[in-house]
Amino acid sequence: MSRHAMSARNAHRVRALAITKLVGASIFLAGCAKDAPQDVFQPKGENAADINNLQYMVFGIAGVVGVIMTVLFVVTMTKFRDKGQPIPEQSHGKPALEITLTIIPALILSVVGVFTFRGVFDLAETKDTELVINVTGQQWWWEYDYPVQGDWGIDKPIITSGQLVMPAGTKVLIRETSRDVIHSYWIPALNGKRDAVPGRIHTLRLHADNPGIYAGQCTEFCGLSHGNMRMEAVALSKEDFATWVTNQQAAYKEPEKDSLAEQGEAVFLNQCVRCHQVNGLKKADGTAAIAAPDENVYAGAAPNLSKFMSRNTFAGATWDLLKKDCRGNVWDAKSEEFGAKYLEGVSADCLNEVDLRRWLRNAPAMKPMYADPTKLEPTDGKYRGMPYLALSESDIDKLVAYLLTLK
Amino acid sequence: MAIIERPSTELEVSITPSVVVPSTTLGNLRRPVQSTGWKSWLFTVDHKKIGIMYGVFAMIFFIIGGVEALLMRLQLAAPDGKALSADLYNQMFTMHGTTMVFLFAMPMAAAFANYFLPLQIGARDVAFPRMNALGLWFLVVGGLVLNAAWFLGGAADGGWFMYAPNSGPVFSPSNGVDFWTLGLQIAGLGSLIGSINLIVTVLNMRAPGMTMMKLPVFTWMILVVQFLLVFSLPVITVALVLLMFQRSFGATFFDVAQGADPLLWQHLFWIFGHPEVYVLILPAFGIISEVLPTFSRKPLFGYPFVVFSGAAIGFVGFGVWAHHMFAAGLGPVSVAVFSIATMAIAIPTGVKIFNWTLTMWGGKIWFTTAMKFAIGLVVLFTIGGLSGVTHSVAPSDTQQTDTYYIVAHFHYVLFGGMVFGLFSGFYYWWPKMFGKMLNERLGSWNFWLMFIGMNMTFGPMHILGLQGQPRRMYVWTEARAGEGFFNFGFWNLISSIGSFVLALSVLLFLINVVQTARKGKQAPLDPWDARTLEWITTSPPKEHNFDRIPTVHHLDEFFHRKYVEDEATHTMKAIATGEEIVRNEEANAESHIHLPSASYWPLVLAIGVGVLGLGVLYGVPIMVLGAAIVLLSSFGWVMEPSVAEDSDYDPPAGGTSKELASHG
Amino acid sequence: MADTAVHAAHDVGHGAHVTSTGLSNNKLAMWLFLGSECLLFGGLISTYMLYRGRVANGPHPNQIYDIPFTSVSSFVLLMSSLTMVLAVSAAQRRNDQQTNLWLTVTALLGATFVGGQVYEFTAFYREGLGFTTSLFSSSFYTLTGFHGVHVTVGVIMLLVTRSIIQKNRVTGDKAESVEIVGLYWHFVDVVWIIIFTLVYLIPA
Repeated sequence: MSRHAMSARNAHRVRALAITKLVGASIFLAGCAKDAPQDVFQPKGENAADINNLQYMVFGIAGVVGVIMTVLFVVTMTKFRDKGQPIPEQSHGKPALEITLTIIPALILSVVGVFTFRGVFDLAETKDTELVINVTGQQWWWEYDYPVQGDWGIDKPIITSGQLVMPAGTKVLIRETSRDVIHSYWIPALNGKRDAVPGRIHTLRLHADNPGIYAGQCTEFCGLSHGNMRMEAVALSKEDFATWVTNQQAAYKEPEKDSLAEQGEAVFLNQCVRCHQVNGLKKADGTAAIAAPDENVYAGAAPNLSKFMSRNTFAGATWDLLKKDCRGNVWDAKSEEFGAKYLEGVSADCLNEVDLRRWLRNAPAMKPMYADPTKLEPTDGKYRGMPYLALSESDIDKLVAYLLTLK
Repeated sequence: MAIIERPSTELEVSITPSVVVPSTTLGNLRRPVQSTGWKSWLFTVDHKKIGIMYGVFAMIFFIIGGVEALLMRLQLAAPDGKALSADLYNQMFTMHGTTMVFLFAMPMAAAFANYFLPLQIGARDVAFPRMNALGLWFLVVGGLVLNAAWFLGGAADGGWFMYAPNSGPVFSPSNGVDFWTLGLQIAGLGSLIGSINLIVTVLNMRAPGMTMMKLPVFTWMILVVQFLLVFSLPVITVALVLLMFQRSFGATFFDVAQGADPLLWQHLFWIFGHPEVYVLILPAFGIISEVLPTFSRKPLFGYPFVVFSGAAIGFVGFGVWAHHMFAAGLGPVSVAVFSIATMAIAIPTGVKIFNWTLTMWGGKIWFTTAMKFAIGLVVLFTIGGLSGVTHSVAPSDTQQTDTYYIVAHFHYVLFGGMVFGLFSGFYYWWPKMFGKMLNERLGSWNFWLMFIGMNMTFGPMHILGLQGQPRRMYVWTEARAGEGFFNFGFWNLISSIGSFVLALSVLLFLINVVQTARKGKQAPLDPWDARTLEWITTSPPKEHNFDRIPTVHHLDEFFHRKYVEDEATHTMKAIATGEEIVRNEEANAESHIHLPSASYWPLVLAIGVGVLGLGVLYGVPIMVLGAAIVLLSSFGWVMEPSVAEDSDYDPPAGGTSKELASHG
Repeated sequence: MADTAVHAAHDVGHGAHVTSTGLSNNKLAMWLFLGSECLLFGGLISTYMLYRGRVANGPHPNQIYDIPFTSVSSFVLLMSSLTMVLAVSAAQRRNDQQTNLWLTVTALLGATFVGGQVYEFTAFYREGLGFTTSLFSSSFYTLTGFHGVHVTVGVIMLLVTRSIIQKNRVTGDKAESVEIVGLYWHFVDVVWIIIFTLVYLIPA
């Protein structure tokens, strides 16, 4: 095949290439428009909005440069393909042009640099925050601990997991750490991610403009079940948040006498309380039941279940406690109705019993964890995650009934 | 130790009797002398054979790493994938990254560097041929140790970045990470040896007239890469040693309970890891800086700018490591500084893209497969570079880091950039290496399938990342997938299909290779009307590379021997064909050429180091055995002169086969 | 990077080996290797500096260092640099006997230093500073141990060079071989001066 024939054929391909790219770009735009819960272009609070402005700037610049370059490539390839012209002059370049082409990107980038600089320091500011929440990562769930803050009605520490509940329209300071490996806290609608590193405390600002629920996911690889370590941030109006705080601090309600739930409490005391704390729960002899996760779990903690049914996920926010339609009611609620719906918690009708029972039946089969009792030598016999408990079906019935009372 | 360092007599004759040259290498063991058959490969010190072996090993690992990638894409094609368990998936992405970086990309670049660097500078071999072989065998042993873990309790599962403390003995209890640390240390040692060797070769063994500013750009880029390796490999070695001491001997380096700081690992890793990125990409830049001028029939636009921007990338590349840690909690000052530094590195990179484009501008472009891959690199790398700029903005990066957007970015840079560059090199230099042309028709299919497959696989990952899909998750869930048709489900499926298109394109390449080997057509001496020294010899080159060492007067010496400028029209006029020039060199062949002789010791020494390493895991007796092999082979090495006998080698007229020092 | 390339490099096997830079291949390779080593020790020293005060268990550095003892062994190592210089100079004067003598003395001084380090490690271990005791102990033993291994390798290189010279089996330029071993030896000494200052003299 002659060179000319080849290059002529290829000119068509170059054009085809250009069309492909155009189509690609439009698909890209279409792709971004859809409503994914972790979409990084849909900020729902001040910090994420600041980041989003920077994103638009730099993506815009990159896009324009990309288009210019594409045009340049296409023109070059079509215009100078081998059409039988003589071998060109062997010129080695033009320094003036080179220097210009070096300075232009440098100028563009220095503008980007100035904005970046400001953005970095603004986002690192912690002085103006109004509420502190400690967030602790461990394999493979997050613990939220609200230190005593009288202004917010928090008179004794609140410890929860699964869902970070915070007041909307408030600058919240997250203080992160980890109990084992490095995790990373990320609620894209509210801010970028920040690693939770054992032995260090990192800060992260969160702010939600409106009540609502915002999805997130652990983004630093943290071992076996990294894919099953999610989180949700729930923003409530200040009044609703106060209600939530009161609910969380409310005393333990003993299950009704002779109910299934009461039998469930016994099962819980027998099996679960080894790791899971329920505040106010008493043993048969009337003494307080104190969980000892440090003896059984390598990270030294297990989710506190005191107000389990006030949140609507479990097992690292990976499974829902709500049935699909009930979940939809909460997630799709308008922001003014959201608080009330969220504060309803999980009722017997709405409980996603299928997944909860599956979990109680055999947790490690549902979520990969280091729970094989024969392989715990490296961790001195402690589990990483929840082990298989060999519960009978009737025990599971009782437990489900009991858990429903924890609100 | 080098060919040029045969026992010199003049200096010593006055004091000592003549140098003793044993015809045996150790005791009664005779030196390997075969010039054909498997022994001629295993014990060779010829940079061309070593280069080819690097290439073969790299290709094997490319396929292994590729299969790992396909398995991951199978798993992620749909929500809640069932193809792999969480554990297996974690091993897959760890080994995919490690394999592609350390066992494919670096060795494949080493293959080209070994083969072409001496040819491009007009040398007969590298400075230290036995060291060269040693580097290869360290890589092979390292690669085997790394992958042995698959069969001995599971591969490493901490990600190629292996962040502490997740890599510690408690959190990663299988032996996988131990094999990983050992394998990388051994392979790293090989790279270090190789890089010192190549630097010395470039600096010291250039042909007459070949000044640094007449070096082909490929050689320049390889030189920069070797400096990057010399100064970055020791840092990862420190990290690997600390990790190994912790896992195998109970040291406390990453034990948080003792007060350790997990960020120490990240700093050490990325001080190596970021220069490593340029170690991967610069060779490809070098390759296309040869290919683009050749097929544009014009010199590289702004040669000094390309060279200095390459050096600048290498230099600044050491000062941007913490941009991998923008979310790690470094504090705003470090983040801001590293953010700005990262933007700075975009400038020399941009310079290169402009220069390549302007090389084509005003040219006479011939779209061969090699050229298509080179242009593919320019286009795809531009996309990857621009997405790179988007996360040099640190706050923006905190949204994108550890999502699929990053996966998309670095695959555009590394697949679109590096792999396309390497494939361009295959098609460009295949006739030089094997004397046969790869089929251009199949090559065109190979290119288009790879181009489409690559964009299908990695293009959607941009969107997935921006829609919020994090990396390294063994499953993704409907709950986070978003609504509408273009959600996670759609893009993940496209990406998975694309990965199989990619696999098909690689398969086509392999078919092309096999077909060419069987019945490929003989390559002309100068099929591409090429420009640099490696073409002023036969294809494949004779063992001694050049019949006569060329004297260099121009950048693009070969081109200027073929063409002169017409003063009036400033166009180029052919005055000689490549064949004529090579014939002329043959007619004026130099006599009396010494080449280094084959040796057992590089291979034996590398095996010894491998055994020694396994001793760390399997006990002191194994270690002692390994140490014994190492000592024995070092002794044999030191006692063995690099040239077997004081026998001169005169090339048989026109022939390429010969018996090497057969009386050794 | 000298651009004035001298091209007898390819004049293979005909006496003096002139290279493009004028620096012999071996020497250039050794310089590059030492450049790489700088980063290796840089990494190890940084690790130590980060961890030297982190003592959760066992003795604190201030309680355990025996500065006078280590000063003496540091002095021994420093002196070995001097004798190494003498060896190189003797080799350049082509005085084999003197070269061998000074190489031997250098090796002996080096071995004394290593012996001192073994003694020091043993003493520390007896005082409760095991390799796994604390972050400080792990990083201390790793850093000084790596240096000790380098000195040991140097001693072996010195002895091998000496025996090769004695048996007249040097391939290449003898004076240069000694010089290259000398480069390595001086490097190891300089690194020790840095380690001694940072580890022993500046209080944690």
